[in-house]
Amino acid sequence: MLLKLKINGEARELAVEPYRSLLDVLRNEAGLTGTKKGCDVGDCGACTVIVDGKPVNSCLMLGVEAQGCEVLTIEGLRHPLQESFIRHGGAQCGFCTPGMIMMAKALLDENPRPSEEEVRFAISGNICRCTGYTKIVEAILHVSHRNER
Amino acid sequence: MSVIGTSVRRPDVPGKVTGAARYAGDLALPGMLHAKIKRCAIAHANIARIDTARALAYPGVKAVLTHLNVPRVLHYGSPHPRSASLARDQYILDSKVRYWGEGVAAVAAVSEEIAEEALDLIEVEYQELPAAISVEQALAADAPSIHGTKSNLVTDPVLVKRGDIDRGFAEADLVVEGTYEMGRPTPAYMEPNVCVCHWDEDGKLTAWISTQTPFMVRGILAEVLGLPLSKVRVLVDHMGGGFGAKQDLFQTEFLCALLAKETRRPVRLEFTRKETFLGGRSRHPGTVWLKQGFRKDGTITARQARVTLNSGAYGSHGPGVTAVGTTALTSLYRCENVHLEGRCVYTNTPIAGAYRGYGVVQTYYALDIQMDEAAEKLGIDPAELKLRNAVREGDLAPSGHPIVGHGLEDCIRRGMEEVNWKQIRGQSPKGKNQATSGSDPIRRGWGMGCEMHGSSAYPGIKEQGNATVRMNEDGTVQLFTGTTGLGTGAHTALAQIVAEELGVGFEDVSVVHGDTDVVPWDIGAFASHTTYMGGRAAQMAAAEVKRKLLESAAEALEAATTDLEVKNGVISVKGSDRRLSVRDTVSPKRGIPSAQLIASATYQPTKSYSFAAHFVEVQVDVQTGQIDVLQVIPVHEIGKVIHPVAAAGQIEGGIQQGIGHTLTEDHAVDPVTGRSLNAGFVDYKMPLSMDMPPIRTILLETAPDPGGPFGAKGVGEDPIIAIGPAIANAVYDAIGVRFRHYPITPEQVLEGLRKK
Repeated sequence: MLLKLKINGEARELAVEPYRSLLDVLRNEAGLTGTKKGCDVGDCGACTVIVDGKPVNSCLMLGVEAQGCEVLTIEGLRHPLQESFIRHGGAQCGFCTPGMIMMAKALLDENPRPSEEEVRFAISGNICRCTGYTKIVEAILHVSHRNER
Repeated sequence: MSVIGTSVRRPDVPGKVTGAARYAGDLALPGMLHAKIKRCAIAHANIARIDTARALAYPGVKAVLTHLNVPRVLHYGSPHPRSASLARDQYILDSKVRYWGEGVAAVAAVSEEIAEEALDLIEVEYQELPAAISVEQALAADAPSIHGTKSNLVTDPVLVKRGDIDRGFAEADLVVEGTYEMGRPTPAYMEPNVCVCHWDEDGKLTAWISTQTPFMVRGILAEVLGLPLSKVRVLVDHMGGGFGAKQDLFQTEFLCALLAKETRRPVRLEFTRKETFLGGRSRHPGTVWLKQGFRKDGTITARQARVTLNSGAYGSHGPGVTAVGTTALTSLYRCENVHLEGRCVYTNTPIAGAYRGYGVVQTYYALDIQMDEAAEKLGIDPAELKLRNAVREGDLAPSGHPIVGHGLEDCIRRGMEEVNWKQIRGQSPKGKNQATSGSDPIRRGWGMGCEMHGSSAYPGIKEQGNATVRMNEDGTVQLFTGTTGLGTGAHTALAQIVAEELGVGFEDVSVVHGDTDVVPWDIGAFASHTTYMGGRAAQMAAAEVKRKLLESAAEALEAATTDLEVKNGVISVKGSDRRLSVRDTVSPKRGIPSAQLIASATYQPTKSYSFAAHFVEVQVDVQTGQIDVLQVIPVHEIGKVIHPVAAAGQIEGGIQQGIGHTLTEDHAVDPVTGRSLNAGFVDYKMPLSMDMPPIRTILLETAPDPGGPFGAKGVGEDPIIAIGPAIANAVYDAIGVRFRHYPITPEQVLEGLRKK
């Protein structure tokens, strides 16, 4: 069926199978492979994108459910978080990184000055196996501290 | 030094934070098919009949492979060079299955969904065989033979004897003995295994694979498929973690290649998360029986151990892990009389393989907990006991090489100072504060553990590091390396090494990697090899380019090469103002290109060891049994630190995995059926952001090794080892219950408290 939506600000019309997840639609139909598939069952958060301002596990949402929605993926994001992740060592293998950054962006949109506890809570559904989270939390807090100024 | 030791901006990361970085699974080729593997639901059986007719007739299915139509070539599951003792016990697909979840067939179809549906149409009739799920069952006199061999041992036992243990135990004032048991943690890299295969008209296979060992994979693909190495090209750019386990072949690579060959179309085969548990590799579960003799002053007089590791259904890295883990018990704490035996046993369970820490996690867990047990009985502080016995300069390391420096002692001393050990330790000794703290169910305690780990797999494997460095005519530099970009930042470290050696800016050096057709051979990114071996080779190649560069400059500057120095891309004559930029030195003169500056180097290693002591505070809730790690102070001695942020990142990540091993992670299989019970991230519980404590990493550079680039040593393996016993020892400090296994669950804590 025909899926009409906005991805990263651009109006798209995609012919999709009704049973395909939004994640598969983004990766395979829209050619946006920055969003990663770590488990495909909603456990790891690697596929997090922002749909109409809210972070979602795109593997748990059907593509057709995004009919008429605005979807933001890592490819469409330009945010201080990205430079902060680079500088603070927030990415190692990088596979969780797009989902992690999208979740952090959603957090900062809602709460520009989160505490460390709030940051850790916000990303508790995003599994990272490389970093121990220390530098991810540092990277996010660094951006939130900039928001304080 | 201007580049080494600074946390330069990692060039691989911008692509990771914008989604531009390409992983093997991101590839989409025109006409590409999708493949899936059918897995058995039985632990041990012969395949009596397999019928693919219905699957083949299913619309959209292009090919089906079973043991009946793939090459039957016995091969090594782990493709290391043959210098390592590895088990040659796998077929691509066999007429027999040896564990619940093993692949029995593969389908290629126009979509993943169709491929998956077709799996159900393949009919398999099994003739069930008695299964040995546990090591005890596999070693029993009437055990079923898993590989048709007389015993279920993967390899001959590893035997290590030094000195005379009978004399040693006779001289002991105290003998401590215990059996320690380890669970089955799995590496759980975030990127499921994936490969894409394509054949060209000339019969050449190109395979994009998420692997740590592209050259090893190339070698075994060529061997099994009957191709010359020049007809197999393995590509890997970014990869989503591996932690050692992505060294093997997983049936996947062969099946993907063969499906692509049969259909004459590119084929993509990606594991589901569940398949990473079933078809991936775990750490070896097992037991360590350990007995040590001590003098009153804490001197260790004898050490005897029997290490028994569960290899699962195939050998994979079992022989290597057993050898490294067992031999590790010769060291860490000095002892002249040692008798060790290591065995690796086949069972009808998922395959164990290489995983960060490679056998040493298991044996040092036992050793370091037993040191605490002995310390208590001797009335010596455990950190003090470990310090007194710490290996030091000139002692023989497990590899047989003399240890350089006093890294372990330095780590223990620094950690004790940092946490004010003598003050904090025993504040709540053995749960004594239970009486005084009234209704508060929280008990706190401190513990520490130590470790050492070799850089590179030498001498177990005849390693080498290779590199080619080329300076372009604009002065920029390219390093060609066969090392893999696992995500650690090692390629950044290699570029730093080259920039430092050449005297050019870091931003002028780029790294070419990930294509076995282009870059020099490399054994793979594992065993803390990359920076140490690949880095040393890169340094050597860069030094040769620099020599040639200075020769060119010497002519122009009318000076001897020995009078020249290069800094920040400028060559100057020492003690004068005569200078020439690197760029001007190599750029074409009057339109004539200057001689190409290129050099290759091969590094044959020595061996070096890195050291660590981890200090940990835990709290235990005596009502719920919940253990929380409150803080970790890891002190690591890793020689010259090349990129402090990346090095600390390795340590923090290793600690996360180690906390998981110790407290929650265990891939459980049903003791009767061998069925996997928790192959997913909900039931296999790893530490998440809320679970992770603050980690205050301390890096020491007190024992640089002349074998490594600028004195650098490995860091990747180390951090996962010491954290486990440190936690177990801290739990004992908190509640006075000694646990000799991992993971330590809340139920067991409550049970332990009840029995106390």
